[in-house]
Amino acid sequence: MKMWPTGQRRMALAVIAAGGIAALSLAACGSSAPSASAQVPASAKQTIVFATQGLGTEGTATAAAVKAFEKLHSNIHVTILSLSPTSDVAEQQLEHYFIGDSSTPDVVTTDVTWPSTFARSGWIANLASRHPDTSSFFAGQMATGEYKGGVYALPWFVNAEGLYYRTDLIKSPPKTEAQLVSDAKSAVAKDHSLKEGLAFEGAEYEGAVTAWQSFGAQIGLKDLSNIDTPANTAALTFMYDAIHTYKIAPSAVTGWEESNVQAAWLSGQTPFALNWPYIFQLSQSKGSNGKPAYPAVYNKTAWIPFPSATPQSSLGGDDLAINARSTHQAAAYEFIKFLTSVSTQDTRAIAAGDPPSVTAAYNSRLYTAAPYFKDEKAVYAVVTPRPVTPVYPSISSQFQTMISAVLSGEGTPSAELKATAPTVQQLFSTAGSS
Amino acid sequence: MTASDQSVAPAGPRSRDQRRGGRHPGDLISQERRFGYLMIAPLLIVLLLITAYPLGYNIWNSFHKVDYLLPPLGAFAGFANYGKLFSDDQFVPALIHTLGFTVVSVSIETVIGLALAVALNKAFRGRGLVRAAVFIPWAVPTVVSAELWRTMFDPQQGFVNFILTKLHLPLASTTWLDSTWTAWAAILVADAWRNTPFIAIVLLAGLQIIPNDVYEAAKIDGANAWQTFRRITLPLLKPALMVALIFRTIQSFLIFDVVYIMTSGGPGTSTDVLAYLNWRAFFTLFDYGYGGAVSVALVVVALVIGGIYVRVFRVEQTA
Repeated sequence: MKMWPTGQRRMALAVIAAGGIAALSLAACGSSAPSASAQVPASAKQTIVFATQGLGTEGTATAAAVKAFEKLHSNIHVTILSLSPTSDVAEQQLEHYFIGDSSTPDVVTTDVTWPSTFARSGWIANLASRHPDTSSFFAGQMATGEYKGGVYALPWFVNAEGLYYRTDLIKSPPKTEAQLVSDAKSAVAKDHSLKEGLAFEGAEYEGAVTAWQSFGAQIGLKDLSNIDTPANTAALTFMYDAIHTYKIAPSAVTGWEESNVQAAWLSGQTPFALNWPYIFQLSQSKGSNGKPAYPAVYNKTAWIPFPSATPQSSLGGDDLAINARSTHQAAAYEFIKFLTSVSTQDTRAIAAGDPPSVTAAYNSRLYTAAPYFKDEKAVYAVVTPRPVTPVYPSISSQFQTMISAVLSGEGTPSAELKATAPTVQQLFSTAGSS
Repeated sequence: MTASDQSVAPAGPRSRDQRRGGRHPGDLISQERRFGYLMIAPLLIVLLLITAYPLGYNIWNSFHKVDYLLPPLGAFAGFANYGKLFSDDQFVPALIHTLGFTVVSVSIETVIGLALAVALNKAFRGRGLVRAAVFIPWAVPTVVSAELWRTMFDPQQGFVNFILTKLHLPLASTTWLDSTWTAWAAILVADAWRNTPFIAIVLLAGLQIIPNDVYEAAKIDGANAWQTFRRITLPLLKPALMVALIFRTIQSFLIFDVVYIMTSGGPGTSTDVLAYLNWRAFFTLFDYGYGGAVSVALVVVALVIGGIYVRVFRVEQTA
């Protein structure tokens, strides 16, 4: 904490000045942009970088797809850049590449909620001039890749949230919320190995927003001018009641993420669980000894849209986009075309359980190899995207805080919605819809 | 033991003479000095690059519109980002939470840390083992300990409710992270478990350089244990105590990991703290202007805290 003696101050200033100059020159390096004319044609020998998430079977399936692509296009080599398995972190990693004006990765995997944000900031390329066949995809997910009339991302695979129930404990799927509550209560009363009646993601993160939507909140696509609606109040009230009034969900769900719900379901401690399709594949999977990996749920798993007044399923899933600064855009597009072809989609669905985004991929080849995709169709039929707006991160953060406050009992659903609505509307109007 | 002798002796004038070079001021000295600067120049440049440049850049951001999700970027914004600190409903509550947490956590940790240090300074069988055991939490990365405590406080699988149930104590069915005060209690426990050993280590080091003869003299004069602690141990421990307090206060003020992992600022925003708000501004909202303003505010408050300590410390020294 001692100051420098006077005689040494000049020297110190000189050193600071030298450092300052070095810093300025660094800053100057950072702001140079690549020229658009530097595009490499698709036929040239080149390497493209593909940034994607996915571990385990998904990672293996991606590596296999890359190999198949390289066989078809011997001049293009694809390097995989692994992003964090946690969605929020993966988004931050990509944004750091974009903010740093990096020309790689060339192809990026984006969650369905990111493309409009990336497009608004000019980070991903408009693919409209390449005339992709947008009608070949599920319309709901295709909409997530479109922004102000442009096509910025193409769907890779679908992800949707639905209600799992145990077929051995629940004889017929509930048709209403009230029926679900009474089914859950009687199941827990009868079977003492059950710890709760319903498991869902209630922690303060994106999962709570998708759960809210899957329970019936109308926060879809383009209009957020007033979220204080009866449907939204009803969905939020159900989440609160499930914990505090009906007591079918433990208060612990306020800290539960997807993995906690997964653990509760696979261990057989709950007759109902709200989760994503990978659970279906896990429930039906077999261990290396040929026996069911999770005997509590094996062949006792069914999946339906949550039975709200108008059943819907929150749409997750991944799209593919091209870095606007990439100098390999032609080759990058070839790669995306390959990944979204019917046969590549089927191969991935069979190997990794990722539901195809291309409607034609739901064919006999898929159903023969993985029959449970037939059962999943009911959920995919009612997928609803989350708001498509560049300010989604801010809006989601508002939703997360609101849901957390309601679930912990710090505010009533209607009061919290009333308090959050103006902020969401204001955020939404700053960016406008797509 | 020579080291402790030196630190007890008044060190001022002698060392200043040595630094000035004593009897031969001149070429040799300035040459030596120049060589010294040359030796530390690379380090200084690196420090400037990784500290001064980002700091300056951040201040620049805070006066401009740098919202990466809503370009165009770079328009001069005056004090708009700073105004937002006080007009939105996030910064002020987070500041209050952070200050409150800092005062409470540092107080608790200092009291327990001091007790631990005094106990561990006594000679007893197995002292080495106990010392090692006490210091283990400090060697655990904060992220790991926070994850651990989140699991411990889990209402279904957690150890805390398990033990409360076994002992038939109240609160056994609490969902700890689900309401404001219990969430804060959990955060405090996790933070204290991890950081109290740090205070204990520093204070133990301070205790060990207090020469034994002072205690012997006190004994001869008939001082009891409390008098010895109050009149000898505590005053001589003050420098070490100050170091521990300054470090822990600044660290506590910048608390991030525990909140990020255990509560994400929830329920609602009731455990939101400045560093977590700052992280959100940068990494989920990508608003570098607003984030910059939060950072600058954070640095200013941290400097004020540091300044207060240095002042108190100086007064203590001259007194």
